[in-house]
Amino acid sequence: MEGVSYQRFPKVKIREMKDDYMKFELRETDASMANALRRVMIAEVPTIAIDLVEIEANSSVLNDEFIAHRLGLIPLVSDDAMGMRFSRDCDACDGDGQCEYCSVEFHLNVRCDSDQTLDVTSNDLRSTEPRVIPVDVAARSLASESGGFDSPDQRLDLTVRVVDPEAYTYDEEVIKKAEAMGKPGLVEIYAKEDSFIFTVESTGAIKSYQMVINAIEILKQKLDAVRLQDTVDADIGELTQHLGRGL
Amino acid sequence: MMDQFPSFHLEDKVSHWEGSIDMPPAQEGPAGPVQVTVGGNWDLILNLKSEFEISSCAWALGFARDLWRVVLPLESSNIVSFFVFLQLLVKMLLSFPIFHCLGEIPAARWLFSCWDSIFLAGFGLIAFRCVREDQSSVVLTLYYLHNGSPRVGFRIAGREYLLPVGLVLKALIETTDYEISVSLSCCFIEKYRKDKGAVRAPLMRERARTILDDIEFRTRNQCLEHIGKLFRPALSKFDTESDTFVGEAVLRDYILVHLNNNHEKFNLLIFMLQKLFALVDQNGAPDNVDALQNMEVLLIGHIMTIYIKEKLEEWLLKGKRQITDEMNKKAKDFEFRNLLLINKIISYNGRGVGRSIESMIRSGRLATLSGLNLLERQGFTIHAERLNYLRFISHFRSVHRGSSFAKMRSTTVRKLLPESWGFLCPVHTPDGTPCGLLNHMTSPCRVSSFYDINGQLKDFLKIRMSILAVLIALGMTPLQPRLEHTGPPEVLHVLLDGCVVGFVASAKVEKAVMHLRSLKVASSSGIPDDLEVGFVPSSEGGAYPGLYLATSPSRLIRPVRNISCTPDRKANIEFIGPFEQAFMEISCPDGGNGGRREFFPETHEEIHPTGMLSIVANLTPWSDHNQSPRNMYQCQMAKQTMGFSGQALQFRADVKTYHLQTPQSPIVRTASYNKFCLDEFPVGTNAIVAVLAYSGYDMEDAMILNKSAVERGLFRGHIYQTETIDLANKKDTTEKVLKIFSRGLDASKSIIDSDGLPFVGQTIHPNEPKYCTYNALSSSSSTSKLKGSESVTVDYVAIDGSSSKKYIQKVNIRSRRVRNPMIGDKFSSRHGQKGVCSQLWPDIDMPFSSVTGMRPDLIINPHAFPSRMTIGMLLESIAAKGGSLHGQFVDATPFSSSTREKGSEKSSEKRSMIDEIGPMLTSRGFNYHGVEVLYSGVLGTEMKCEIFMGPVYYQRLRHMVSDKFQVRSTGTVDQITRQPIGGRKRGGGIRFGEMERDSILAHGAAYLLHDRLHSSSDYHIADVCSNCGSLLTATVVGPRKRMTKDIKRNLPPPPRLANNIICRSCKSSKGMETVAMPYVFRYLAAELAAMNVKLDLHLSNKIGT
Repeated sequence: MEGVSYQRFPKVKIREMKDDYMKFELRETDASMANALRRVMIAEVPTIAIDLVEIEANSSVLNDEFIAHRLGLIPLVSDDAMGMRFSRDCDACDGDGQCEYCSVEFHLNVRCDSDQTLDVTSNDLRSTEPRVIPVDVAARSLASESGGFDSPDQRLDLTVRVVDPEAYTYDEEVIKKAEAMGKPGLVEIYAKEDSFIFTVESTGAIKSYQMVINAIEILKQKLDAVRLQDTVDADIGELTQHLGRGL
Repeated sequence: MMDQFPSFHLEDKVSHWEGSIDMPPAQEGPAGPVQVTVGGNWDLILNLKSEFEISSCAWALGFARDLWRVVLPLESSNIVSFFVFLQLLVKMLLSFPIFHCLGEIPAARWLFSCWDSIFLAGFGLIAFRCVREDQSSVVLTLYYLHNGSPRVGFRIAGREYLLPVGLVLKALIETTDYEISVSLSCCFIEKYRKDKGAVRAPLMRERARTILDDIEFRTRNQCLEHIGKLFRPALSKFDTESDTFVGEAVLRDYILVHLNNNHEKFNLLIFMLQKLFALVDQNGAPDNVDALQNMEVLLIGHIMTIYIKEKLEEWLLKGKRQITDEMNKKAKDFEFRNLLLINKIISYNGRGVGRSIESMIRSGRLATLSGLNLLERQGFTIHAERLNYLRFISHFRSVHRGSSFAKMRSTTVRKLLPESWGFLCPVHTPDGTPCGLLNHMTSPCRVSSFYDINGQLKDFLKIRMSILAVLIALGMTPLQPRLEHTGPPEVLHVLLDGCVVGFVASAKVEKAVMHLRSLKVASSSGIPDDLEVGFVPSSEGGAYPGLYLATSPSRLIRPVRNISCTPDRKANIEFIGPFEQAFMEISCPDGGNGGRREFFPETHEEIHPTGMLSIVANLTPWSDHNQSPRNMYQCQMAKQTMGFSGQALQFRADVKTYHLQTPQSPIVRTASYNKFCLDEFPVGTNAIVAVLAYSGYDMEDAMILNKSAVERGLFRGHIYQTETIDLANKKDTTEKVLKIFSRGLDASKSIIDSDGLPFVGQTIHPNEPKYCTYNALSSSSSTSKLKGSESVTVDYVAIDGSSSKKYIQKVNIRSRRVRNPMIGDKFSSRHGQKGVCSQLWPDIDMPFSSVTGMRPDLIINPHAFPSRMTIGMLLESIAAKGGSLHGQFVDATPFSSSTREKGSEKSSEKRSMIDEIGPMLTSRGFNYHGVEVLYSGVLGTEMKCEIFMGPVYYQRLRHMVSDKFQVRSTGTVDQITRQPIGGRKRGGGIRFGEMERDSILAHGAAYLLHDRLHSSSDYHIADVCSNCGSLLTATVVGPRKRMTKDIKRNLPPPPRLANNIICRSCKSSKGMETVAMPYVFRYLAAELAAMNVKLDLHLSNKIGT
């Protein structure tokens, strides 16, 4: 086992890059790797959101929990999020969200004096930290991964032209059609299992490319943590031994 | 009675509701407005005439006394059909359920007795429910006896009395035997004997003779006197009047009370006799008692009217008795003209009327001796829950057959009969006990009332006159004053509201019916649009022919399109009733012709096939693609859904209401959804549903929710509960205040405000104080704590200021509980597919689409579909996908394919739904069939199968684990048996019952059995005397008494010494043994001892000896 390396050198090719949208190719790596990147981008790239709401007075028709929940959904500009701490891990304030390392304070003070319904939006939130403000465009953070497909060329006299291998999702329809035409096996479809096309969309809390960078950073940190455990933790060593013996 | 006391005022000082009920003046109609004064502030004039008004009435009363109960319109049957043994007649009838026959349509049923004919047993009967103008009714029954002389039966104060029909006939009018005989036998005409529809009752003349021979009286006076003599004891109100007067009163008050004229009564009785004999001679089919055809609905306004009438009658009789008592007591001082005195005497009588009506609404029970001629005594009201809007409106659209039918073994009353087509929804009935008894009206169906379309009170007299005029113009021979000597099939009798008004020649009658219908449709004809033209044609062995017209209120009516009279498709809506419907030719656009042939051309047409469904059933998208029971389940579940129950929750004080935080409007909806404006009260969320077996947590109708979706607000909800705290003692009418709200010294200031009430917005945890009161008498304060295991937030505190007392005595505290979806909560789609959330699965682990990157909100198992066949749900998913991609709502009205215009039929017939939706999907780059390639969220690998995924409108049901979970380790035990108690609220356990015990036994798990049923239950060590075998005689002697001090300090009992225990009966400590046993066994021994049975125990160490 020792000395066997599975290291690969993935290639990234950026196709499109905007603040809230990004498309890039990830090649020469495994699904596990790509999926790890996807999962980290969805769940582990830190952003700032309203977590603790203290309500002084609320005489609106919406109840406290409802308002608190809505506030929590507002995307905030989170460029500094990587540098901050999770309030649960914060030593400076014991996690009560009162220190500058882990929290930003917002104030919402709105009063409706007219007969009309008053619209309260994220613009009414006043931040104490000018770098953390609500994002104007509300769009859901979404990262997705798409496997590209290559279709082999013609085999018989009939030609099958592949227009856009990426647009194709494997749904057997082409194969069925070929069968219906009386030419089974005309088309065979193989997925390229080591190429991935990522489409990254961001709410605007962080730039989409920053999100990818952050995700890779976090992935690295996690791998570091595993590597550190590998040396320290005897269990893993035992497991390797066990595996080695088994082989 | 009402004329004498047009206005009646009663004051109820006990409550803040000044329950003043002003009876309407007589000319306004009996079920006219009832004025309810609420709190002295608002005057609501409520018309108790239709279900809509009932709701407002219920509201008003609810405001007054938290009576959130609604009175159900009851359905009652029209026709009596049972057979009775003559000798036992009265007794049997008393114990028999008396069916109601509403409507003036006499009918009969002929049954053979399986009993010996010696008893003269089997006979048919005709029942006729006669309704007075105030909607009180008396059922008149004609019983056929084998000797040919029928009896007239009617009830006085719940007891049935029978009179020979000849006696009644002769007492009604001055008549001769000849006239009666001829009138009776005229329906049988020898020359028509072979004709279709002829009455073949050749024995008519002989029967007429038996009828007449049955009585020995000749003149009308003699008959009246005889009747008067018989009924004087039964009618207590006549003391001094002559027998003739009493006899006339009986005829007036109990025989065919809907008619005012004795001639009319005579004619109707003759007609009923003819029908009875015709059916006895098997000339026609008996009418079905359970068919909707012969039914009307009993509306709350009518029940209330007759109930108030009876209560007032009782009140007056009581008052009269009191006045006469007073008169007898001090005959000289009594001055009848002294109004003050009279008022004072009457006021002793109490204010029972208002209270009894209130209690009737509260309990739904009629406290009446006479029974009001209603079959039901109870179950008139149900609790109007405002769980969601659909449940709420369903209460007002429901029709119940009567609570007594629920206990009946036979299922015939529950059957879905073809007669109810279009009036009662076949889908919307609960499964289980009330199945088929509790029905719901279809969405276009309504109930005829005292009011016409413009809200004007109908003038029935005028309506009848104009109908009569039309009938005469159409060729009807009026029948005044004597019945003409002829019968079907030559002529058909015409009955208008249960009165024989004449006869029409058979040849003319069809034309007359057509003309009447066209007049019904024409708005300005003077003929009411809800006139029921029940034309029963002459037939071979069918129903008794005749033309039965009805204008009465409380009939079910529904609109259909009359295509025979006017070609104009807009102005040809005719309202038809269930009686006439059975004899009409109505085509329904269902794709076929309904088996109708050329010689029965359709005269009417359904407006839309969905008219046969109730409002709730109409909301199921593509319900025509589902297996029918699934649609029934959906009707039940729609009413249990959390949604928007009301628009102004913050001002409401419902006892309990559910609220969905972020409901949505369904993408796929039926036409009814828009028609009934249900966007105001949405009940669900469009969730992205993927149908796949993923992680195994979606087995057996479980479903996986996306945790992030829930965190974004999917299915989040609240429960609002209002608690009323009234400190005032109800019985104490003095001004003294005993208890006030005040914060005691010990109460925590962070929760309770200085006024003793909680802060608004404050979260209260279990066992924390909720409010504080101070008792002025004992000068102590006490806090009331929050029960249960769930913390609540105080939403609103309302002080009831209606009390005249100085301090706050009554408050409403509305609390709110957050109910976010969790494992164990119940959800359902709109197709009867319910499931329980088994996991809140992390977003990153959910499968995702390669194209869009979307993760589903919800995963259900594909096994939910094959056996249930809810194709509608699959269609909804794919259609909603297409609709959401194109930004449009999709119409999912059922039966739309059969209602398409004829021209496009050919082309659209082959086009299936998928061919319409498929291109919508492909145009946006999705798969034609709505499937998608998904990747495992855990591994990132492609799944080998295409997954069906799309938005489905999901409902969150009110059944939540938080209300249901039960857990117990150790805790309270029952005082008597020392076994753990049951009940979730009290912290009890779940019963380990007989069947569970059997199962453990069968597995041979003896140790477990011992542990569950003994060690962990009522383990007890008893001292048993082996000499006398008694379990109960052991007594502790000497200093072994356990000090109460020790018990208080919870010290363990000191070790017991055997010789300190003696047997009382043997007087020795020898042979005392300790035996472990369940404590209930000792209890059993004690109970047996109390009944003088001694339980002898034989102790042995060996098994089986």
